[in-house]
Amino acid sequence: MEFSEHIKTANVEDVVLHQPLHPPSKGTLCITGHHLLFSDREEDSGRQVLLLLRNVDAVEKSSVENLMNYFGLFPKPGRSDRATESSGTIIIKCKDLRVIQLDIPGMEQCLNIAQSIETLSHLDSVAEMYPFFYRPSHASLGEQWGLSTPERHYTEMEALHERWRLSTVNQNYSVCPSYPPAVIVPKAIGDDALKKVAKFRQGGRFPVLCYYHKKNGMVILRSGQPLTGANRKRCIEDELLLQAVIADSDKGYIIDTRSAQQAQQARMMGGGFESKPCYSSWKRLHRPMERGKTLQESLIKLVEACGDKSPNMDRWLSKLENSKWLSHVQTALSTAGLLAECVERDGHSVLVHGSEGTDATLLLSTLAQLIMDPSCRTLEGFLTLLEREFVQAGHPFQQRCSHSAFSHARLQQECPVFLLLLDCVWQLWCQFPLALGFSEALLLRLATEAYSSDYGTFLCNSDMERGVHQVKDKTHCLFQALLKPKERDQYTNPLYEPNELAIWPSVHPQSLQLWSGFFLRWTQQAHHLELVQEEIRNMVIEWGKLALS
Amino acid sequence: MASPVSVYNSNVLDAHISSTSRESLKMELLADVGLLPGEERIIDKDIIYICPFSGAVKGKVLITNYRLHFKSSDADVAVTLDVPLGTISRVEKMGGASSRGENSYGLDITCKDMRNLRFALKQEGHSRRDIFELLFKYAFPVSHGLPLFAYVTQEKYEENGWSVYRPVEELRRQGLPNNKWRITFINENYELCDTYPAVLAVPFKCKEEDLRRVASFRSRGRIPVLSWIHRENRAAIVRCSQPLVGMSGKRNKDDERYLDLIRDANDTAKLTIYDARPNVNAVANKATGGGYEGDEYHNAELVFLDIHNIHVMRESLKKLKDIVYPNVEESHWLSSLESTHWLEHIKLVLSGAIQVADKVSSGNSVVVHCSDGWDRTAQLTSLAMLMLDSHYRTLKGLQVLIEKEWISFGHKFASRLGHGDKNHADQDRSPIFVQFMDCVWQMSKQFPTAFEFNERLLLTVLDHLYSCRFGTFLYNCESAREQNALRRKTVSLWSLVNSKTEVYLNPFYTPESGRVLYPVASMRHLELWVTYYIRWNPRIRQQQSPVEQRYLELLALRDEYIKKLEELQLSDAPRLADDGRGADPSSPPPASSPARQQHYAHLHTPF
Repeated sequence: MEFSEHIKTANVEDVVLHQPLHPPSKGTLCITGHHLLFSDREEDSGRQVLLLLRNVDAVEKSSVENLMNYFGLFPKPGRSDRATESSGTIIIKCKDLRVIQLDIPGMEQCLNIAQSIETLSHLDSVAEMYPFFYRPSHASLGEQWGLSTPERHYTEMEALHERWRLSTVNQNYSVCPSYPPAVIVPKAIGDDALKKVAKFRQGGRFPVLCYYHKKNGMVILRSGQPLTGANRKRCIEDELLLQAVIADSDKGYIIDTRSAQQAQQARMMGGGFESKPCYSSWKRLHRPMERGKTLQESLIKLVEACGDKSPNMDRWLSKLENSKWLSHVQTALSTAGLLAECVERDGHSVLVHGSEGTDATLLLSTLAQLIMDPSCRTLEGFLTLLEREFVQAGHPFQQRCSHSAFSHARLQQECPVFLLLLDCVWQLWCQFPLALGFSEALLLRLATEAYSSDYGTFLCNSDMERGVHQVKDKTHCLFQALLKPKERDQYTNPLYEPNELAIWPSVHPQSLQLWSGFFLRWTQQAHHLELVQEEIRNMVIEWGKLALS
Repeated sequence: MASPVSVYNSNVLDAHISSTSRESLKMELLADVGLLPGEERIIDKDIIYICPFSGAVKGKVLITNYRLHFKSSDADVAVTLDVPLGTISRVEKMGGASSRGENSYGLDITCKDMRNLRFALKQEGHSRRDIFELLFKYAFPVSHGLPLFAYVTQEKYEENGWSVYRPVEELRRQGLPNNKWRITFINENYELCDTYPAVLAVPFKCKEEDLRRVASFRSRGRIPVLSWIHRENRAAIVRCSQPLVGMSGKRNKDDERYLDLIRDANDTAKLTIYDARPNVNAVANKATGGGYEGDEYHNAELVFLDIHNIHVMRESLKKLKDIVYPNVEESHWLSSLESTHWLEHIKLVLSGAIQVADKVSSGNSVVVHCSDGWDRTAQLTSLAMLMLDSHYRTLKGLQVLIEKEWISFGHKFASRLGHGDKNHADQDRSPIFVQFMDCVWQMSKQFPTAFEFNERLLLTVLDHLYSCRFGTFLYNCESAREQNALRRKTVSLWSLVNSKTEVYLNPFYTPESGRVLYPVASMRHLELWVTYYIRWNPRIRQQQSPVEQRYLELLALRDEYIKKLEELQLSDAPRLADDGRGADPSSPPPASSPARQQHYAHLHTPF
């Protein structure tokens, strides 16, 4: 691949960089295949800004073609002359919500730079992405990739071996392209039956176990919607599978992330829901959750309100409300709370799905586990949970995170489900300052990494695709990196105290706050609070050390 | 078969109210209520508490001369209420003997702290008459010629809170007197100004007779006096009331000269006068004899800060109460919150204080006033001082700040809060001090390591603002307190606080002397103080107690750490023990540190 063909101007001197939290500075700008590099000339310390081009969401050119330039069209010859007389400004809006401005001398250079950034920031080919080139000195390829595997997950939970088995029916991704090769299913159901069930579920996503509640043996399953279609098709194997889940307990719940009406309408498109007569032991609860475009637009509105520079902000709260972001947070948390309640308080197993079962479904199962299961609340536990429930479970990161809130590109598959999850986790973190073993800094890091990263963890849309691109062989693993001693210190919560109890979030609008650490991240105030949190962490660690000595 | 009951599924609430152990109910329900020394039982009664969250709860109520205490008798719902009678602003009868419907006959109690209580009684034999009359009498003792409970209580504490604030000592801490400012006792008998304290600091060059002439031109004689002075640049915060300009545009040469002396004291070209009011209100005040400083004050510039008056603030908080109690607004919470304008008022007060602090830290003296100089002025000067002087961010420092800028300078606590007064609709009521505490809370949220005290202290202060158990917030001004022998006959709130400081301390406090704190007064960075305004709603409240417990542990760990550190330093090099912190006397190290004693020695700088 030739990145150079996209780079007409690689170096520009005397560029002025305006970035949040810093005074403007003058220096040299350099564009490479994956990065924008700015070196501050005035400072001896050699302060540099290295921006991954993948992080760029939108590039805006506001050319400051002054009058001189018009005269430049007249006899005055020479390109260089013209270039010095004009200058251009590029505004770069990043997926981590940072907005930076570059004043570049020379209109042509400016246009070249803008063009390069635009092209290189959304290259489609996975193999050209930076994680395949990132070779840090402190790590080598071939180290363990990922934190766990479905096999290990199964082996570790002995309590479920009696009634559940690990199936490798999807070994070649032939049954369900978005599932990992091994999944946990009821022991009573054979692989042949699973193949039939897969044909009856959207995307081949047959019901699999994702959580086993040790206290009462109840489970959470997730799947795609049943393809009942307009003429109410049935699938005996599907019904048997669900019956096998319940076994001797009296009933189970199905949480459908669509409204009853949406579920009805889905039948016209070949989808559907589990009807009462066919699944008599299952009670269906419809809890509509926003998805796709609606969620993405909500993010766009919110970010727009947060970036509003006008001094008159007296309508801020209305704007915040109108973005509806916080009400999406509320819906997600309360539905996850309901799911956890069914399992923990009510003592029943639950199947979660919407249509594809790769977005809201995963959001709910992840949050519910965090609420109920103390082992998910440590730093390792949480990362393992994300790996299992989002990465391995086939959340299409590449499609969902290809653009963020600033992009002018037409929306396709973008949707901030993962960001919504992190926001919900942050709300839990605020409501239970002692219960989670990781820090806000981790959530911020993940929010950035999901959109643009040095690591391969969030590349591609499924395990299968990652296999095709040899992601595990050719890139480094983010989760492993985060757990290395030096990094991990930054991401632990110094106030953490293990707590066996479920943490039930309060979901009233009064209890939910704007995640200002993320959405207002590039303001002085949020930056200041980030530093203070770090200070507090160091303080507590220091006290602990001396107390132990 | 119903779907699982849940807080996530319906509005039925049961989950968050823990159930009591059954054996405790075998005991006499109210026998274990811990009464204060001097507290007496007045009446107890079977009653039904109409809890807005868990419905009608049967139990027993006890009224003493200090509190209303309710305990449920139902094993499944453990509800306990413990409300100081001082918190009650209004008691009304609900329904009549012939009212229909369940629990429609009883009492309706409005509280000053964002909640209402409703009790139902049996609809026979005038069952509520005695309790209503007794409650009415003891909740409003002032209206019945009875003493406030602060005069009845026999509580004793290790610490004496009345010694926290000594005016002269505090002025000395600031470096007064110096060659520009002096301390005057002209108001010793409260003759110059009956709402000012006895000790005042005024420009050195100003004679006593000048002060009297200035007093005649300032509303209620509240002349410009020094609140705070910057140690290095000598810029001062001066507070007063509005000048009596009136419709005819009166002038007073003495007042003009006096303000010029203030400017002259630190030798800057211009004196900035902050008028807290909106411009139009200041103009309107001329009609009643007031006004603002005009062009005749040559070397002064006037800035209006657009903060609204006590009536606007009262209505704003009332609107806030409407959307948070008993039921919180769900569907349009943020826009409803916006329409109360409460946060907007907070923003204006904070940004006014920021302007004052900024002016002073850049070396210019300022004069702050509103109309009478006891509401908005107190907010602005005290918040600016909190930003400028790290001493006020300590536990003792905040006490001094409240004693000084609020209590001694005559914020009309009695009128604003109506202690013991049955007249609940009085137009003088206003939550000005609550608003100040909200601003302090906003600052502590924005600077989590800058304040030695924690949220619990702020809540405790606000609870006892109403309780009338301590003398601290009683009466409108110092002269009234003297007349009523307040210090001799009542206990100070700071006695309670300073006898058990650890629960009020912030483990993460890191003293930083000389640092000016500028909070961000933008709507985006202000939050509603949910843990105060919505604390009665059990669904909103989060796990406070484990967090408080953890903080206490951390505090102990920190103290251990400091102790070990000091031991290490002592054994290493004795001189290091001071840790460089003693350099600036305005910032004491953590209260528990032994270095503190040493530190306070710095304060007693001789004249």
